[in-house]
Amino acid sequence: MPRERHETGRDASDPIVEVRNVSVTYDLENRDAMVLDDVSIDLRRGEILGVVGESGSGKSMLANAMMDAVEEPGITTGEVRYYPESDAAPINVLDLTDEELRELRWEEISMVFQGALSSFNPTMKIRGHFEETLKAHDYDVEEGMERARELLSDLYLDPDRVLDSYSHELSGGMSQRALIALSLILEPEVLLMDEPTAALDLLMQRSILSLLDDIKQKYDLSILFITHDLPLVAGLADRLAILYAFELAEVGSTEQVVSNSQHPYTRALLKAVPNLDAPLSTMQPIEGTAPNPAHAPSGCHYAPRCPLATEECHQEQPPWFDVADDQRTACFHHDEAEEAVALEPGVVDA
Amino acid sequence: MSYILKRLGRSALTVFVVVSASFGLVRLLPGGPLDYLRAQMIQQGGGDLSAAEINRRIAAQTNIAVDEPVYVQYVDYMTSIVQGDFGRSIWYEEPVASVIGPAIPWTVFLTASALFLTFTVGVSLGAFMAYKEGSTFDVTSTGVGLVLNSTPSYVVALLLIAFLGYQFQLFPTGGRYASELTPGLNVPFLASVLYHGMLPILSMAVVGFGGWALSMRGNSIRVLGEDYLRVARLRGLPTRRIAIRYVARNAILPMYTGLMIAIGTVFGGAVIIENIFAYPGVGFYLIQAINARDYPLMMGGFILITVAMVVGITIADLTYGWLDPRASGGESREAY
Repeated sequence: MPRERHETGRDASDPIVEVRNVSVTYDLENRDAMVLDDVSIDLRRGEILGVVGESGSGKSMLANAMMDAVEEPGITTGEVRYYPESDAAPINVLDLTDEELRELRWEEISMVFQGALSSFNPTMKIRGHFEETLKAHDYDVEEGMERARELLSDLYLDPDRVLDSYSHELSGGMSQRALIALSLILEPEVLLMDEPTAALDLLMQRSILSLLDDIKQKYDLSILFITHDLPLVAGLADRLAILYAFELAEVGSTEQVVSNSQHPYTRALLKAVPNLDAPLSTMQPIEGTAPNPAHAPSGCHYAPRCPLATEECHQEQPPWFDVADDQRTACFHHDEAEEAVALEPGVVDA
Repeated sequence: MSYILKRLGRSALTVFVVVSASFGLVRLLPGGPLDYLRAQMIQQGGGDLSAAEINRRIAAQTNIAVDEPVYVQYVDYMTSIVQGDFGRSIWYEEPVASVIGPAIPWTVFLTASALFLTFTVGVSLGAFMAYKEGSTFDVTSTGVGLVLNSTPSYVVALLLIAFLGYQFQLFPTGGRYASELTPGLNVPFLASVLYHGMLPILSMAVVGFGGWALSMRGNSIRVLGEDYLRVARLRGLPTRRIAIRYVARNAILPMYTGLMIAIGTVFGGAVIIENIFAYPGVGFYLIQAINARDYPLMMGGFILITVAMVVGITIADLTYGWLDPRASGGESREAY
């Protein structure tokens, strides 16, 4: 049964952030470039939602839009509703005043960026970053610093050493963990992580991911984890959202998306993942290139590269189809996808 | 610690080389100062003076005893310099130190005020231009800054003295203070000092601030695009803290060495300006010395200016690590 495009995950119990019909556009000279096109998705309370997409697919824009942090001259439209408590009235993030937004960010919804080394002021010790953040939000500094120490040791860092260091004195993994601690210093409910491990080596990626699960449990977080690395997030996330060319292609539980995807793009993406155990011949790149945001196709954005595309796909944007329990796919031909794009079993472990 | 010692040692070596070179110049230039002095004395003395007497007088004036072997002369010369004895000025017939010494505070007053003005105005303007990047204000200021920065200070000085000094008689055209006043910590005297210093300071400041503004603008724009600035904004830090602790601090940093070199020039930075405004400072006496072939005075001036520069750069080097934590340690850093 087809659903309207904005209905993704509406029935999910207890969302903490609801994103509805959110678009981000940049006004270019004579046409608008849409870098996020009418995206609707829920972040559920207490889950880790992995958002996967290739470079330039709009992943970061989605995270930025969730705390209304898209930089000028980008324009964010649509609705972002934040539910501080399960039954509380939602806060409409995109309608907040500057001061309300200042209070929401970091206190309720916080963010970890890629490139932790460049996220710290190079002429200030790590301690200064924690203290100024606490002061700016009128938190008790002494109590807050106590929490900072705890956070740092939860992340397997030596609190005193890290706090008294400058960012250039820390390794990549250490500063990334310090940045995670900084993002949690005001005890937020939601953590948006924008490729937090992209600049790290594989070993460090894995160890940060395993820490993340513990941190999430201990501090009661709901996490949006953005990455281009599908296998990386598959082991961590409860649910996955696949983003292609500024639109959501598929949303579902990790297991379903990884082993029973009904979207030709997701399946092609899974096939493109390198795997040591599988022969090289099973690895296939996706033909063609992703569209330019100023010239996005009018129908399904994936249609030009899709083996299943028909006239309908080129003309109309596909609505959401419920393809399984808690799994939705935006594809007219979702029931043919499995056959058309065959997958080697066990490419990615859920 | 060993770095500091090494760095200080290198500076001392630079000063040593400079003073030695000044000895070499005075001693070795053909038709140079010593011959000139000798000719002058023979002329004045009309042949009454013995060669030994002439040599003795030359030694008293230049610290160079001509009839001694070169290495003895050199050692004597260096020892005198270390003791603060730069010889006697031929023109003023006074020790060089007592000619230049009293002039130092006046020069420092001019150049330091001008530097303070150019730096503060330049940095504030540059930061503001960066915040307004691309606006009419930014474009205009960039243009004005470029033009002023390419203008020699003496052109501005001549214009100022011609119009504000002679034409409209708003400012004095020379001197350090009104001659009827008694120097001291009294208001009329200080006001007069400021009044007399106004035009020289202005001539240096007008051409100076553009360069600082342009570098500050460039640095600030770079910092404004840094990730840590975005993170700081999202963390909800007050605008004031972001402007000062994040943008200003990180944008001024690369300009610090330039500032220290500029501070190094405070002793010798106003040679032409002081002459245009007949302002008896170090530069004024230096030109006098050159015109009058007053070699001991010239050498004293040169040594003073070089030493000030070396000290400025050394301070810059030694304090940079304290300002920019990334540069501490500094074993591999360049030194001058």
